[in-house]
Amino acid sequence: METLAETQAAAANPFNYGTQIWALFRLAPRAGRFPPATPGVVLGKAGTPAAHSVLSLALQIDDGEVVDARFQAYGCPTSIAVGAWIADWAIGKRVAELAALTATRLRNELEIPDERAHCALLGEDALRAVVALMKQEPL
Amino acid sequence: MIYLDYAATTPLDERVFEAMLPFLKPDGLHANPASSHGPGFRARAAVERARGEVAALIGAEASEIVWTSGATESNNLALKGALEFRGMPAAGRAVHIVTARTEHKCVLDTCRHLETLGVRVTYLKPDRNGVVTPEQVLAAITPDTALVSLMWVNNEIGAVQDIARLAPQLRERGILLHVDAAQAAGKVKIDLRSVPVDLMSLSGHKLYGPKGVGALFVRRKPRARLAPQMHGGGHEQGMRSGTLATHQVVGMGAAFAIAAADFEADVAHISGLRDALWQRLRDLPGVHRNGPDGSAEQPLAPHVLNLSFEGVEGESLRASLADVAVSSGSACSSATAEPSYVLRALGHDDELANASLRFSFGRRTRLDEVEQVAVKVRQQLQWLRELSPLWKP
Amino acid sequence: MPIYFDHNATTPLDPRVLEAMLPYLRGAYGNASSVHRYGRAARAAIEAARVQVAAWVGAEPAQLIWTSGATESNNLALKGVAASATKKSRVLYGATEHPAVLEAALALAEAGWGVETIAVDGDGIVDWPTYTAQLSAAPVCLVALMAANNETGVIQDTARAATLAHAAGALMHIDAVQAAGKIDIDFAASGADLMSVSAHKVYGPKGIGALIVGADVELQPQQRGGGQEHGRRGGTENLPAIVGFGIAAELAGEERAARAAATLALRLRLEAGLRQVPDVTVFAESAPRLPNTVQFGLLGWEGEALLMALDRAGIAVSSGSACASGSGEPSHVLLGMGLPREIAYRAVRVSLGPGNTDAEIDRFLSELSALRLQAAA
Repeated sequence: METLAETQAAAANPFNYGTQIWALFRLAPRAGRFPPATPGVVLGKAGTPAAHSVLSLALQIDDGEVVDARFQAYGCPTSIAVGAWIADWAIGKRVAELAALTATRLRNELEIPDERAHCALLGEDALRAVVALMKQEPL
Repeated sequence: MIYLDYAATTPLDERVFEAMLPFLKPDGLHANPASSHGPGFRARAAVERARGEVAALIGAEASEIVWTSGATESNNLALKGALEFRGMPAAGRAVHIVTARTEHKCVLDTCRHLETLGVRVTYLKPDRNGVVTPEQVLAAITPDTALVSLMWVNNEIGAVQDIARLAPQLRERGILLHVDAAQAAGKVKIDLRSVPVDLMSLSGHKLYGPKGVGALFVRRKPRARLAPQMHGGGHEQGMRSGTLATHQVVGMGAAFAIAAADFEADVAHISGLRDALWQRLRDLPGVHRNGPDGSAEQPLAPHVLNLSFEGVEGESLRASLADVAVSSGSACSSATAEPSYVLRALGHDDELANASLRFSFGRRTRLDEVEQVAVKVRQQLQWLRELSPLWKP
Repeated sequence: MPIYFDHNATTPLDPRVLEAMLPYLRGAYGNASSVHRYGRAARAAIEAARVQVAAWVGAEPAQLIWTSGATESNNLALKGVAASATKKSRVLYGATEHPAVLEAALALAEAGWGVETIAVDGDGIVDWPTYTAQLSAAPVCLVALMAANNETGVIQDTARAATLAHAAGALMHIDAVQAAGKIDIDFAASGADLMSVSAHKVYGPKGIGALIVGADVELQPQQRGGGQEHGRRGGTENLPAIVGFGIAAELAGEERAARAAATLALRLRLEAGLRQVPDVTVFAESAPRLPNTVQFGLLGWEGEALLMALDRAGIAVSSGSACASGSGEPSHVLLGMGLPREIAYRAVRVSLGPGNTDAEIDRFLSELSALRLQAAA
């Protein structure tokens, strides 16, 4: 039987989003949050409800390396796709690599059009918030 | 794809199509209805029959119907034509009109244009449910007020204005009343014999008729006078020139005749579907119904259900419901993905106005479609809320 | 079988155009402004038609604004340009223009503009020295001239008029409603700034037209609301009609030469026949004219009466523009050409289509001869 996620991914793409953005929005792997009291979780947030975009990124760190990730997003499909992409990409990365991810790279990776450039900035900001915390208290 | 966007446009009724077809076939009645030969006379007779059919639905005389290219032109002609005839602002002459913030974009755009020409416009703020009371209108009136423009039924939230109570009070004061009834015709009872509206805009494609045709009701007694906005040839008693598209006006006539004959059944069907969808969604947390609730105190048009959803963002909500044709705000502004100006005018907060959907039902909508849509909305809402850092169940 | 000789008033819908419109009439009902899938299909169809109509008249798709017909196009051109002008100056328009241009110009006169007609000679052709003098007398904002006249079929040299207008700093509007589809029309080559066209004169549907607007022309919208056509013309797009116009334009482009040849052969046969009927005057006979149009008068017959007599015989012709029919006034076109009123009163217009036949021409001629004798008796 087809899962809900597969049904969603196959469904029509009504606003002509990029293929990758649409798939990440519909499937959103690693969506959600860690159970309470999960050890080693660092949480970074960016955006405001008033701007219609909030991204919350939770990375689980063990010995300076990302071992698992979750994200939550309130925003347009592109901002959700950005959260989904970063959460997936971050696995196995160390703080220096995380700090090197820029909005420009996000735009290239996800083929984000100019008018959605703010979604890439949202992703960069959320990741920077995580990186800042990681640098404060290494796990 | 399930179509629940009947307030944006409706499919052509098959009976309307059959009525139009003879005017589209090469061996049919293709002549120009302004021509003075036999084929032209036959085309004109069809145009006049259609005029009578449109008039009959609203309790008007055929001679009070002026054909236009649609409700947008009707609204433009009514506002600009009436003011131009009465005299635009000049030294020593102020002109004032009263309208509401929740009017259709074309009325608001026309009002803004008139402001650049010196007309003073009061944009009334409706109550939270979209209602502008007659008392509110009367309180805004000044000695310079020439015209009030108010829509009978709001296109986004289905609020019904009490035109029947307002109209006589404006008549007493000698102020013209223009009503945009594009969403009202065929949905609420309109009888202009007892309601002294002066000008009323109508649309073909909102009522299973063709696109590209509309009408403006222009009262004859007492005569509402207009300066034409489209010149050349003197068609339509000099109020609107241009070759009439016979097939389109015939289609609009047929559509209005059907709407008159099927009125009770149509209203029962579509309001039943609207209530059915609400019944299947109302238990969800954080779902708000926008506009009137349909009680006797808060009348609601039968075809619209407007809902806001907490904790989710509007564009993602619409994208996740890709296989349901609904709209956010009026069709004209939905591409911009801006929060509905109507909901904002009613004082709804920006996030809730953004995460709103307008479901609108029609003659062809089936109950099983409504049930499918209810399931989809519940599924997608749950999914987006799981995704949302703002949603606290 | 009735004979239809009134193609300048309107043409029957081409069955191929109807075929293309049917799915949009019955099926795809999206409001083109809605974002969902129905709406996107509608948008794609509208843009495809925009390419077809623009290509037909040698314009860029982005230069095209859909309207409800030629009357709206002409009104939008004149009033839209006037409303964008920083100060009121003058508008010149041909003495034989269609009422849509003429009355739009008069509306501008009421609003304080100087409006003047451009005189034409006995053949209906612009009187160039007078026109040149008018242009240099005082600032002119806009010149409006039809490419071909709806009544006489006379073809103007609009390129020359445009060159002179531009030299005087004026914009040029061409009403190409009757010319398009019958003679070659090329917006880019014409030098015009604005151009009106209509679908129902070229076997497309009624209720749809277009205004072509050059890239650097400022045009204030006349119908507001909804932001369609980039804010230049509000209102839900008339989707089936737009699709129909697209196909009609494409066919009119492909078949223009064949249609022109077919109607010209019929017209020449008709004119040869008319020369055999005593007391017939063909108007603007020696001027360059559309291949399908003949306007003439028969001594002893008022045009309206002759029209009705022919109608009783099953032949549909016109006494001039369909719009002005029945007004009781003689054609302003013929008066503008300097014809005496009593001769102008006689005007009858035959406008042919490629579907007409030699046999129909011959029947028309024999009816006309019979009617002439009836008048004489």
